[in-house]
Amino acid sequence: MTAGMRGVRRDAIGVGHTRLPLGLIYAAMLAFLYLPIVLLAVFSFNANTSLSFPLRGFTLDWYGQVLDDPALLAAARNSLVVATVAATAATALGFAVSVAVLRFRFAGRRLLLALAAAPLVVPFVVLGVALFLLFNIFGVPRSLLTVALGHSIVALPYASLILLSRIVGLDPALEDAAMDLGASYPTTLRRVLLPLVGPSLLAAWLTSFIVSFDEVALANFLAGGDPTFPVFLYGQLRFAGRLPVLIAMAVLLMTGTIILTLIANRLRTRSQ
Amino acid sequence: MPARSRPFRQCLAIVAVSLVILATACSAPNKLLVLEWSGYEAEDFWTDFKTANPEAAVTFEIGSSDADVLGKMEQGSQADIFHFYTGWQQFYVDAGLVKEIDTSKLTNWDKVPESFKALGRVDGKQYYLPWDWGFTSILYNTDHVPEVTSWDILFDDTYAEHISMWDDGPGAVTVSSYIHGWDEEAITDAQLAQAEQEWKDQKALNLHYWTDEYADLCPEVKSGDIWVAYAWQGCYADALYDGSQPIAYATPVEGRNSWVGLYGISSKTANYDLALEFLDMKLATLTCSNAVTLFYYGCANQEVMDAIEDPVLIEAFGIDDPSIIESTNFTPPVTDAQRTAWTEMWGRVKAE
Amino acid sequence: MLGRRGSLRFLAVPPFAWLIVLFVAPLLLAILISFRAERGPIDFGSLLQASTVQYEKIVGTPSWLRLLATSAGMALLVAALATLFAFPIAYFLAFRARDRAPIFLILLLVPAATSFLLRVMAWKVLLGGSGAINSFLIWIGVIQDPIGLLLYSQAAVVITLIYVWIPFAALPIYAALQRVDRSHLEAAADLGAGPWSRFWRVTVALSLPGVLATLFMVFIPTVGEYVTPFLVGGTDGFMYGLLIQDFFSRAGNWPLGSALAVIMLLVTVALVAVALRVVDLRRAVA
Repeated sequence: MTAGMRGVRRDAIGVGHTRLPLGLIYAAMLAFLYLPIVLLAVFSFNANTSLSFPLRGFTLDWYGQVLDDPALLAAARNSLVVATVAATAATALGFAVSVAVLRFRFAGRRLLLALAAAPLVVPFVVLGVALFLLFNIFGVPRSLLTVALGHSIVALPYASLILLSRIVGLDPALEDAAMDLGASYPTTLRRVLLPLVGPSLLAAWLTSFIVSFDEVALANFLAGGDPTFPVFLYGQLRFAGRLPVLIAMAVLLMTGTIILTLIANRLRTRSQ
Repeated sequence: MPARSRPFRQCLAIVAVSLVILATACSAPNKLLVLEWSGYEAEDFWTDFKTANPEAAVTFEIGSSDADVLGKMEQGSQADIFHFYTGWQQFYVDAGLVKEIDTSKLTNWDKVPESFKALGRVDGKQYYLPWDWGFTSILYNTDHVPEVTSWDILFDDTYAEHISMWDDGPGAVTVSSYIHGWDEEAITDAQLAQAEQEWKDQKALNLHYWTDEYADLCPEVKSGDIWVAYAWQGCYADALYDGSQPIAYATPVEGRNSWVGLYGISSKTANYDLALEFLDMKLATLTCSNAVTLFYYGCANQEVMDAIEDPVLIEAFGIDDPSIIESTNFTPPVTDAQRTAWTEMWGRVKAE
Repeated sequence: MLGRRGSLRFLAVPPFAWLIVLFVAPLLLAILISFRAERGPIDFGSLLQASTVQYEKIVGTPSWLRLLATSAGMALLVAALATLFAFPIAYFLAFRARDRAPIFLILLLVPAATSFLLRVMAWKVLLGGSGAINSFLIWIGVIQDPIGLLLYSQAAVVITLIYVWIPFAALPIYAALQRVDRSHLEAAADLGAGPWSRFWRVTVALSLPGVLATLFMVFIPTVGEYVTPFLVGGTDGFMYGLLIQDFFSRAGNWPLGSALAVIMLLVTVALVAVALRVVDLRRAVA
């Protein structure tokens, strides 16, 4: 009995064919996510130091003050550097874990998987204090580097879970075929697997970046003298007049992040 | 080698090199690391030092509470200078973490009132330099609350859902001790149990507990959502400047509370003279006035306090009314065991 | 030329080493600290004098244990709802956006890179007692007194957490959905399956690893969540993670904080182990 005989239209069988307005659902979600951002952007142009309605008038002063504030710019730069390092480390390690666990059999396979997911269970503050003590014992000076190390650990589960979900759905036969044709395993990984998991790698990296960027508990314990942006932000909130400048910086950072990741995505697709 | 680990190895190399650079950088002679509270790292609060020592590199570590500052210092923080508040002086001395201050080298020391100097002395030795100070009392909205005579207004259900208490166990026990006339330094188990029950009953009256003055409390005082609050005078001055709600600051019959911020020099510092100068410059005119005008906190330099002309600040500090200071209770030292009992009590109140 | 077997070393060893040094070691240290009787400087001789004082304290405080149960319950609710609401988003990314998915993904995730504190401050302007929404509703006469539920309540915490998690929850599901393609569905249709049946038995079934990954990814850290209850929970929306945070940062009581964390860890691991058994059981039966 074929579908034709049962009267089922072939072109109605597709992926993504539902009557649900998926695009609308996505748009609604996006609207909710951006609502506070839009509000913040509005306040960043508002000539008032407190977040309240009615609006008092348009001004670019706050953005001007951002450029004039070396401490603010330094804190933002610190967070960008830390988050980039942490995200790259977490994604690389998450990829290694996923491939090792899904494509190989070895003693300790389950342990590796459990360990990679385990940081999810431990509160940041506990890890922060414990790492603080550990670094003290071994005389490792605290700095942005130690913050990045801490962040790479807390971001690792997210990167791993995303990449595991993707790679579990890929047929190992593709890799086997490449190796049969003479490629080494590293080359296979690079030219067969990597392109297929591209978007998931991006998702893993971006998630890890975000986990690191706004993180305060670990940064409070593991940073030396250089503050990350959220730590700096929290301190500046005590100054009634600085709030709009901080908001302007946050809006700039978000816009910058969007632009940079779009560019990165462009480069990624170009190179395929 | 797998493609993935080549850039990884490069990262590792960069990381190793940075570690070495960082390690050497940390032991340079004109560097100071200060363990400070969030917000105080701003240059406004050490501007005189910066002007006098432009090449000195001052960096800051953040402590989130007195307990956190003590914990970090005990566990080997590299800070040369640390900042904490009254009640904790004995701990640092007992643990050998603080070095005596050579007051003969301080140029601004004679401007500090004797009562403040005394707070920085332990066993007759001057270990700490007083800097910022303020009151704790009841902030209230006169549109909704006609008058406040006692601390027990925090327990008054007439104002349910418009009260805000500070999220702090020892602070709560202090309030209970004022209301019931207990000796704050000798709270018994029975008294603590009574306080615990009272605060559990009080919990529902709060809109929420506040933790950070300017982020949490001030906006809601100014918007009229909070009518009665345990507060420092910072939000009082802020509300007076803002003007959108009529706010008053009480002098309860049991007396206000007062706290003083103290700076100490770590016993492990390699830069004692520079640290001492940093402390001295904290009391300099501009730096001290910045604490007053930016945070609305008092400063230990009496000349700066006498020179205040802004009526809002005069009102906020109660400068015109000497009877306020006379009835004010200063935060006494409390033992570790007591503090642990009080914070655990508060944990039970919050979890109820 | 590096063969398959040889590559395993480079894939498995770095993560193991990283995790052992930066995670297992500090975790063991935290566990040791939980067996101290008092707060205070930790010198390594005294680390070996174990005392169960902190654990006795916790077991003797029923309100803390109840708090753990409530927090786990809230976490379960958040995980279930976030996964449910994330599914259509993931479906959209995988099947409608397809090749352009990365851009839609970026747009979805980037707001999360903005300071959570600032975003919540903006929400408070909208949701607070004298905020825009309440003012508007009072103005048009729908309500007389401001709705307290929107802020400083348990509901506010759950809603905020679901809202925060949906973009991240969509990711493992999206990753898993990428292996569904037309041929699977055509095969099912050839075997006589209708549209709903195809959706359930092909699409959802193949996405299951992603759905499970999401449920765990959201549930586990939410049990110990502290930032959201701190900002919007008020006195009713208190959670166990905030209790731990309070004891660490405000009381400097690392032993008690660590003991609370260890108990939470054991409970969470137990719950996850049970859940994995249930899942395996279902697979065995199906």
